[in-house]
Amino acid sequence: MFRTPSLRRAGLVTAALALLLTACSAGSTAEPSGTQPSATQPSATQPTGTQGSAAPTTAPADPSETDPASPSSTPAPASDAALAVGFVLAPESLDFTQVDGAAIPQALLVNVYEGLVKVDDNGTIVPALAKSWTVSPDRKTYTFQLQEGVRFSNGDPFTAEDAVFSINRVKTDWKISVKAKMDIVAKAVAVSDTELTVTLKRPSNNWLYDMTSRVGAMFSTDGVADLADKPIGTGPYVFVSYTPGDRMVLERNDGYWGTPPAVKTVTLRYFKDPNAMNNALLTGDIQVISSVQTPESISQFSDTSRFQVIDGTSTGEVLLTLNNGSGATADLKVRQAISYALDRKAILDIAWSGYGTLIGSHEAPTDPWFTDLSGAYPFDPEKAKELLKEAGKENLTLRLTLPPVPYATAAAPLIISQLADVGITVKDTAVTFDTWIQQVLINADYDMTIINHVEPRDLATLWGDPTYYTRYDNPEVQRLLVAGDEGTPEQQVTDYRKVVQILSDDAASVWLWSFPNLVVAAADVRGLAQNAVSESFDLTTLSVG
Amino acid sequence: MKGSPKHRNSLLVAGAVLIGIVVLAAVVSFFWTPFSPVFTDVRNPAAPPGRGGHLLGTDRLGRDTLTWLMVGAQTTLKVGVIAVGIAAVVGTPIGILAGMTRRRWSEVIMRANDVLLAFPALLVALILAAKYGASITSSMVAIGIASVPGFVRVIRAGTIQVMGTDYVQAARIAGLRGPAIAVRHVLPNVFGLIIVQVSVAYAIAILAEAALSFLGLGAPPSVPSWGRMLNEAQSMLSVQPMIAVWPGLAIAVAVLGLNLLGDGLRDRFDPRMITRQVRP
Repeated sequence: MFRTPSLRRAGLVTAALALLLTACSAGSTAEPSGTQPSATQPSATQPTGTQGSAAPTTAPADPSETDPASPSSTPAPASDAALAVGFVLAPESLDFTQVDGAAIPQALLVNVYEGLVKVDDNGTIVPALAKSWTVSPDRKTYTFQLQEGVRFSNGDPFTAEDAVFSINRVKTDWKISVKAKMDIVAKAVAVSDTELTVTLKRPSNNWLYDMTSRVGAMFSTDGVADLADKPIGTGPYVFVSYTPGDRMVLERNDGYWGTPPAVKTVTLRYFKDPNAMNNALLTGDIQVISSVQTPESISQFSDTSRFQVIDGTSTGEVLLTLNNGSGATADLKVRQAISYALDRKAILDIAWSGYGTLIGSHEAPTDPWFTDLSGAYPFDPEKAKELLKEAGKENLTLRLTLPPVPYATAAAPLIISQLADVGITVKDTAVTFDTWIQQVLINADYDMTIINHVEPRDLATLWGDPTYYTRYDNPEVQRLLVAGDEGTPEQQVTDYRKVVQILSDDAASVWLWSFPNLVVAAADVRGLAQNAVSESFDLTTLSVG
Repeated sequence: MKGSPKHRNSLLVAGAVLIGIVVLAAVVSFFWTPFSPVFTDVRNPAAPPGRGGHLLGTDRLGRDTLTWLMVGAQTTLKVGVIAVGIAAVVGTPIGILAGMTRRRWSEVIMRANDVLLAFPALLVALILAAKYGASITSSMVAIGIASVPGFVRVIRAGTIQVMGTDYVQAARIAGLRGPAIAVRHVLPNVFGLIIVQVSVAYAIAILAEAALSFLGLGAPPSVPSWGRMLNEAQSMLSVQPMIAVWPGLAIAVAVLGLNLLGDGLRDRFDPRMITRQVRP
């Protein structure tokens, strides 16, 4: 069996973009503005777990009994060490309240900005600026007890007033698409300096999870004037400087309320070309590659006395998305034929060197509702031909629109070849990221496309909204998704399981593989997270030596 | 600097043979290739030459290298004709004009040229792609436009030199007008420069095409091109370096062939050479 590592979701995209780099701003479009971003933004991921057999144990949003963050490992002592970490996706701006893009929260969230809660390496929600919280019996009101003695990097104390300000500001001042996640909030009230209540319009299992993402970041009431150049947060690192497209420097926050990070200075280096980033690690210019974009060349880091390879999971699913709303792919038999025609194991082994996990529906191996459906459509070209015949589509020509991302460019030729074997002619077009967003994501003018949906728990985004580019319209699925969000965590698992089963039965798309979190670092770097669990690249746990 | 006429002739022949190989490969690929260009041999990815019936091996996705080289020759020729053609046809007259006109006009032309030089090819490609859709042709046109300033600069410098020679002065005194001087004296004398610039621009265009394709501004992944092969081979250098060697060799053959052919042609047509040849 092959290994199943996973990589930071942002990675792919980044990689791709990286290459592009030169190209205009594509580099930072990770998250399509104005549309549902799930496709590209690296966001939080979630539970880790054992591959394949995800333990659907605790629904992550079961807050009533959160215990203080349990330090899974003892933190390394603060030192004067410096680290350089390589990324491929550079921020266009530093203000993630106004500008879409995965690169900004990747650098700043958790490190410079903190939320009330965050996800740990297992995807469980744990306390951050909130010491603890309780949920009312009707599951609509959350009461947070906040940490005391917390200060922003501009010296202001952090109080419940700041939290109310930050939550309300999402609705009033934010411009990016994910701000919609806060629409469910009816009101936020500061009961005292350290107590905050938030009332939702309806019960939601997903809201607290969303609070771990960028929309949950806490800002100072008078520290938001110049977020694009001067981020002010409560985090363990303070922002020092950013040279656009080149590097960002962060330094340890000496007044940090929690455990100070071990590394004093972290430089985030941005590379336009993944091969250049590989070389930078080989020559010691950087110590960490945040996400490997060229898994086929990972063997150059096989010297374990110099390098370590971290191979975990992410919440990204790489899809061969089929247009359920129009064209030949609106026909169930055609979609099933495509599913049977593809040898997904061969595609994963060759296109992504076997890094990743085969999945059979829209789920990460670590989702609580994960069911292994990867065997639902075994590789069977004969059956595919039969289905096409039944559908009367024996001489089918389909368009494949490709965004400039490495996994898509690598997987496409294999898919085209295998579909040709069952009589489907594929006309592929490579487009820029902006064009992809306009043409595919917004206009749904496509038959097939390949994209890594990196957002954690994005079932509802993709399959619950018939106007989304998948054009998947199934009232039963929509009902189950809403019921699952409003119900108990156990109910959510049951309902969402039904949803992923229906999606598989409908062959709503071809789920190629679950994206790995693949990180390479110098051998003496410690504290790297095994799994990509959030929108952020967590620097706070790193140490050297 | 040149040897005997025979030696010069052999350059021409060598160049013609190399370019002939490229053309032949392109023509044959229309009718026959060892494998289908879309076929990916999943059992033999990154195969060394010979394995699984792949004469030159396969790339990392299992595509037959020989097939891709043959079909890629079509793309390469397209690059030459469109991109370099535009640059040479537009850039040469402008360069000659800039070299022959009065100082003030020359300055205007050259400053405008500098502006174009500073204008990234990528931006041109984006504009064209937005207007006409991304395709190999629009990316070629973009590269062609971006290569114009190089021609203008080189040709202008050559023209100024020619304009200072005695025979041009004599032609002027004899009452020959500008256009006639340009055609009869300047053009033949800068022909060598054009050829050199063509081969330089050509090599750049092949690689630029690959870069643009990678950005989604050129050919889709299923269209073979040498530049793309070379580009994709980068990450495999440490694993299977042969994947990069073949397209590199092919590009070298095409560029070298063009150089030799150009040199040979220049020798044939260069008036100075002819004179020298005739003189005992």
